Amino acid sequence: MNEPRVTLAQGNGGRFMRELIQDVFVRHLANDDLDTSLDSAVLDFPQDRLVFTTDGFTVQPLEFPGGNIGSLAVHGTVNDLAVAGARPLYLSLNAIIEEGLPLAQLERIIASLAAAAQEAGVRVVTGDTKVVPCGQGGGLYLVTTGIGIRMADIQPRPALIQCGDAILISGPVGDHGTAVMLAREQFGLEGDLASDSASVLPLTSALLQFDGLRFMRDPTRGGLACVVHDIVRSCQLGVSLDEWMIPVNGPVRSVCEMLGYDPLYLACEGRILAVIDAAQAAAALECLRALPGAAEAACIGTIIDSPPAVILRTDIGGERMLQELEDDPLPRIC
Amino acid sequence: MQTPHTDLGPTAKPAAPLRYRAERLRLTGRVQGVGFRPFVYRLANQHGLTGWVQNQLGEVEIFVEGCPADLEQFRTELIASAPPLARPLIAAIREAECQLLLNFSIRDSASQREARIFVPPDNFTCPDCLAELKNASDRRYRYPFINCTQCGPRYTLINAMPYDRPNTSMAGFPLCPACAAEYHNPADRRFHAEPLACERCGPSLELVRDDETIATGNEDCLHLAVNVLYDGQILAVKGIGGYHLLCDAANSSTVAELRRRKNRPDKPFAVMFPEGDDDDPLACLRQHVTVSEDEAGALLHPARPIVLLRKQANSALAQNLAPGLAELGSFLPYSPLHHLLLDAFGGPVVATSGNVSGEPVLTDRNTAQERLGPIADVFLHHDRPIVRPADDSVMRRTGGAVRPIRIGRGMAPRELEIPVALDSPVLAVGGQMKNTIAIGWKNRVIVSPHIGEMDSPRSLLVLDTVARDLQKLYGVRAVQVLADRHPGYTTHRYAANLKLPCTWILHHHAHASALVGELGGEDAWAVFTWDGVGLGEDGTLWGGECLVGRPGNWRRFASLAPIRPPGGDAAARQPWRSAAAMLWADERDWDGIPDPHRIAYTAWQKGINCPTSSAAGRLFDGAASMVCGIEDCSFEAQAPMFFEALATPGEQMPGALPLLRHEDGIWRSDWRPMLPMLLDPHRSKQHRATNFHAVMARVIVDQARKVRDETGINRVGLTGGVFQNRILADAAMRWLRLDGFAASMPSVMPCNDAALSFGQVVEFAAGGGSQHE
Repeated sequence: MNEPRVTLAQGNGGRFMRELIQDVFVRHLANDDLDTSLDSAVLDFPQDRLVFTTDGFTVQPLEFPGGNIGSLAVHGTVNDLAVAGARPLYLSLNAIIEEGLPLAQLERIIASLAAAAQEAGVRVVTGDTKVVPCGQGGGLYLVTTGIGIRMADIQPRPALIQCGDAILISGPVGDHGTAVMLAREQFGLEGDLASDSASVLPLTSALLQFDGLRFMRDPTRGGLACVVHDIVRSCQLGVSLDEWMIPVNGPVRSVCEMLGYDPLYLACEGRILAVIDAAQAAAALECLRALPGAAEAACIGTIIDSPPAVILRTDIGGERMLQELEDDPLPRIC
Repeated sequence: MQTPHTDLGPTAKPAAPLRYRAERLRLTGRVQGVGFRPFVYRLANQHGLTGWVQNQLGEVEIFVEGCPADLEQFRTELIASAPPLARPLIAAIREAECQLLLNFSIRDSASQREARIFVPPDNFTCPDCLAELKNASDRRYRYPFINCTQCGPRYTLINAMPYDRPNTSMAGFPLCPACAAEYHNPADRRFHAEPLACERCGPSLELVRDDETIATGNEDCLHLAVNVLYDGQILAVKGIGGYHLLCDAANSSTVAELRRRKNRPDKPFAVMFPEGDDDDPLACLRQHVTVSEDEAGALLHPARPIVLLRKQANSALAQNLAPGLAELGSFLPYSPLHHLLLDAFGGPVVATSGNVSGEPVLTDRNTAQERLGPIADVFLHHDRPIVRPADDSVMRRTGGAVRPIRIGRGMAPRELEIPVALDSPVLAVGGQMKNTIAIGWKNRVIVSPHIGEMDSPRSLLVLDTVARDLQKLYGVRAVQVLADRHPGYTTHRYAANLKLPCTWILHHHAHASALVGELGGEDAWAVFTWDGVGLGEDGTLWGGECLVGRPGNWRRFASLAPIRPPGGDAAARQPWRSAAAMLWADERDWDGIPDPHRIAYTAWQKGINCPTSSAAGRLFDGAASMVCGIEDCSFEAQAPMFFEALATPGEQMPGALPLLRHEDGIWRSDWRPMLPMLLDPHRSKQHRATNFHAVMARVIVDQARKVRDETGINRVGLTGGVFQNRILADAAMRWLRLDGFAASMPSVMPCNDAALSFGQVVEFAAGGGSQHE
């Protein structure tokens, strides 16, 4: 039980804190732009059109099949920049650590964060560390803020969406939500269930070549259903989804069926949903499918001229309305 | 409730026989669209009276003068001999000054003041029209759209009130001279029969295969359509309130094909039987199902509903019409088109709603072609537009009477009266399943026909249309909307988006208030509201509640020990989940639970998506699953229906379950002692099913006794979808009555969620509901 753990002293601004930052954060995240002796980073940009976002990460458990809070903190923010049509350049990192977190675990997480950042081509250029007393945090909370630059002249946004546009998804939905839930609740299921946590930058870069691209989003919390409802709300058109076209991994499907969950409401962390001119949908799909992590990309529906609603068509000719996520979905049917 | 006056009370003694007297009568009730004015005209002439009759936007005003004895006779017959569809109520009679008019006339409609409007429902083909349909010398011989003031479509073709032809979907069919003469002749049965038509001027048939018209001309269409049935193919037929899918009910492979194409593996189909001659219209039907006298009455009602009747063992009908069930939904032809088809085919046909599971029945030619194209081989269309859908009504004998399960064509819109007048008009949007809506103003409530399950966009569209139409037709504008408190219901969201003040009504309060609203009475009630699921006051899911009080003031008195079925909504489709929740709660296991990786069990232990429910429906699911081993259901309540079919009526009241008062003051019946019996392989399934039903009926009696002991309340009502179960309802009603309770069940509104809209109005009118979600 003498495993080294984070102590309150490592957050008091003194030597212990400096050592923690050096030994864990700087060791993994070192780059030319990161100077922990400065309070701010001074950065160069190739152009002046910046894209800026921030995100906080509180996932439980901290580590799960397919990733951990560290890789997630990079992917989450990088993906938010990527779907806005940007190439991410810099991240800030805030770590709020709970007293007692095993140092080895912290190190694993930060190493994974560093690897994810490197893979996505972003640098962590500034940061902050706090330690909160035992019982006042969930082990580790991370906040990342990202800055990127626009990659193309077009800026995908809901205002471009038109009736008849096609809706693409880059891969199976619900993996992250299912994997994290099973890990959190300790279902003891060993198997093929892993988070899809990944940078979607290669996918968004590929799609930005299409001038018919209207809009991209990464379906995270609230899942695919939440993104299509956002689309419906912002463009005041209808969305028709073909249920049988939406890819769902077999294990996710069976776990969801057992637990009574709908995978369309569960989080992804490495997928994008794109709305694109129907005439370019087939080419875009082909382009996506050639990329890693998007082999199962599919065209799952269309924007329709109807009152704002999400209609899910079933392969037997039925139609039902896909409702917005309730806070705590209660059974409705008898 | 509206009840026709049959007794006029004392009338003045005749004075000097030759002295003329004059009277003014004002009649309300259902007097429009039912041939009432021509009837008054004929009646007055028959008695040698003069005067006039005038339609005043729903009310009828009569001025009549003549000998006192004739006047008295006239008044009596005005009610006693009124046309079958009319339900006149004499609102006022007063002496008037004689004008010595020379004849009796029908005056043009007056529309200068507010009046009581009644939108008539759709009706069958009356005997007079049926006789003409079969009479080779009649000019409407074999005309598929024959009708008169006593029969034919109404609600489904009315665009606006007053009910006059230009305001109906017949506006596009100008009358030929012969029809016009009938329409304008006050002495004719077709005087102002708004959907009046004949071969020359009226709607006609069209037969379509593979999107191509293969026949026009009514006779060709009928001939070929019947051949389609003979060939074992599936025919979509446009009827009064929507499309039906028809096929030979004796051909099991056709029925199987229909099941496959409709993706409806088990849910029972209704069967339409040819109507026999006057000696016994039910002759054909009786060869296949057993009919009691009151069931025969229901079958022959002008609404021509589907009635669930016991199958006969020696019936030659296909075995896959209602697999696993003892009953068959049976009905008679309700339109001339159906009479012609069935008479020509000469045998029973499957007649199931032309819709996609749970949606409102389809009404429009192009949508039907598109949505039913993969199911039907051939379409029999006609060109009389259906303004709004009305699905078939369904009835079943339960608790000692034939009661509605679904109010649709012929039975709705249904008007009910509430004792407390509403301050301002309301729209009640009901629940989520089997939904209806209602509008209420003053003391009047109008309930729409069955709309359906509210998950589909089409259901919501129809709900919106019907909500607007009912307000328009009755000339009221709701300033308040009532909805179920469950935030996930489509209707709840619809209500919240209407930009009107919303009042949220608890599901089971609405159930209880619907029952009291129909059955009336000033006394307090104990109402058992047993169903599948509804959001309760404490945020858990209710459905096994004994509520005590009266509309606007219900108290949860007793309930059932709750369970936590894993998977939430999935429990409705997979009864093993309820079985598992019952067994796990008693620390039992059972190899019938399909949970090899213990995912559901882990979720149950950790409380993941396992909402607490006290619903009786879930207990019936669980018990049915334990006894019959049913894992999945392809339609709602499939497992309990199979289970009920196994059970026989309990004669002796069985032993009681423990009934204990809990810390929250609520009595709860604990069903756990039944588990060993339900799982006992040495007892037959029939025995276990019978025992379970009897024990659940006993629970009702025991809880009712507690209510009586504590409060003195003796009036007991049973409502909620679970009481569609005949074995349960019959036993509970019988034993309650033997125990001295005044026990009753609704018979105007269904006991299932179709009654919620009406109940919401009753509850709101009595001060119930909440403005906060």
